[in-house]
Amino acid sequence: MPSPHRFPHHAAIMLTAGLLSACLGNHGSTPTSATPPPSVVNTMTVTVDSGPAAAPGAINHAYVTVRVCAPGSTTQCADVDHVLLDTGSWGLRLVRSVLAANTVALSGETDTHGNTVEECETFGGGQTWGPVALADVTLAGEVASKLPVQIMDDTNAGAPPPATCGANGTLLNTVAGFGANGVLGVGVFAQDCGAACVNAATPLPVYYGCTAAGACTAENLALVDQVTNPVAAFAVDNNGLIIDMANLVNANGDASVQGQLTFGLGTQTDNALPATGLTVLGANASGDFTATYNGGSTVLPALIDSGTDDYVFSDMTIPTCSTGSFVGDYCPAVAPLNVFAVNTGVGTNNATNTVNFAIQDPNTFVAGAAAFEGLAGGGGATNFVWGMPYFYGRKIYIGIDQKMAGTFTGPFYAY
Amino acid sequence: MCCKLEAMVQRFATHALWFLVFGGIALPAERAHAALGGDAASVVTDTAEIQGVAHATLLQQYEIQEITNDSGMRVREFLNRDGVVFAVAWNGPVVPDLRTLLGASFDSYVKQLGALKHPGTHRSLRLASSALVVESGGHMRAYSGRAYLPLLIPAGALPANLH
Repeated sequence: MPSPHRFPHHAAIMLTAGLLSACLGNHGSTPTSATPPPSVVNTMTVTVDSGPAAAPGAINHAYVTVRVCAPGSTTQCADVDHVLLDTGSWGLRLVRSVLAANTVALSGETDTHGNTVEECETFGGGQTWGPVALADVTLAGEVASKLPVQIMDDTNAGAPPPATCGANGTLLNTVAGFGANGVLGVGVFAQDCGAACVNAATPLPVYYGCTAAGACTAENLALVDQVTNPVAAFAVDNNGLIIDMANLVNANGDASVQGQLTFGLGTQTDNALPATGLTVLGANASGDFTATYNGGSTVLPALIDSGTDDYVFSDMTIPTCSTGSFVGDYCPAVAPLNVFAVNTGVGTNNATNTVNFAIQDPNTFVAGAAAFEGLAGGGGATNFVWGMPYFYGRKIYIGIDQKMAGTFTGPFYAY
Repeated sequence: MCCKLEAMVQRFATHALWFLVFGGIALPAERAHAALGGDAASVVTDTAEIQGVAHATLLQQYEIQEITNDSGMRVREFLNRDGVVFAVAWNGPVVPDLRTLLGASFDSYVKQLGALKHPGTHRSLRLASSALVVESGGHMRAYSGRAYLPLLIPAGALPANLH
């Protein structure tokens, strides 16, 4: 349903970007020319703050604003703010009520039987449920056209979740579920499930075909129809990204922190890979490199994850906070507690690098602030997560699976 | 009781568990007993759909029933000498249906989960009480976790080994 447009400037940008995308996306009809195409604006702002008004109190959440339009439309568009920037997942998920408030309705995918495609995707504390829909997604000047995204169905407009979805916790479809209006998964893979959901003998409980009556059955889904990392779907600058966050002014708590998100690796003058000093950590088929913690012998799957609030690893010798806002996180008896971990890449990009870091007592953090260094937790964890605190003051490179970036092939993490 | 029969009963139960956890079938709560705290023999009738391969390992303090399938999923149940499942562990490309796997403990788990702020952003969580410990982590394509009942762990068994 068309509506009065709230963002005429963006509409104009969108129109231009849409035309560019249509041209580039027209499979071979683009006229060949000796003149290189004009470079696309490939940078946008990342902000850590306390979150959307509907769910304030976020800690170490990095947000971006995502422009989403019904495919081909320049009027059914919304600039969705406070979308969580997440290098630990793949694909864009948006809360339905937020889209509806912007009068954007996206058409759902249907499978070969004419049933609606819906998805159940697990995050740490629960699952997202809702249809897969197509959208034109714009980040900076980059466009991913007809991108499969997940609608987090907080208003239950689609089929109800099957018993196997949400049964492992509460559903995470609301703004409060992530403290965000959506999740922008820009990690090392192009699709969220990948080959495991294409040809499994017994389809994994991820993608479902749902009848008009709302009966859903797990089914396989082709890669091109799966929820897709928009960066991998850009016409250009699609081999990876760089997240460059400022350092905190006060390590114990800033109200907000700014950074820059840059698309492409070695594709423009502003995204070159450093010739020296870059640690490139290849990832395995699950998206992990390995880490050992504090000289231990246990080799842990590891990733660099902007979607996790803290450093996550298991150290049962560190007390956990029993009071305050950080119950369950580490509260070292003497802070800062200096520890280290050794990262090692998997496969060809097999660099090894030691990272020293400090764990703070979160009960000394500035009340009401949104960004903190030194926040750690995860007793009992069997992996190692370099969460958002690791990003402050660093430039993190993400290389997408099967794509070349300079001499390196993804998937990889680098810094 | 004849040991052979007991093993057979547990084998059937394991297949039933596989069906329950991976088959995507909702069952009435009173039948979901092949779960944490449950009596493995109580779902022996649910053997119709077998899609996994079960493997049993008998240790000094307990028995491990391991179920794997060709999608890379693995679920292990740990049974004490009374045949009670005191721990479950999982890893694979998806999280198994924890409502089935945790059985009577599921509601307690969800209650603790409900106390978390922004639960979606916890890629690794540990919910621990004196009666129930749940550790769940990982990300798309690679999840792992376990749950155990501390009060039912056999003497001499270490929680660290329950993976």
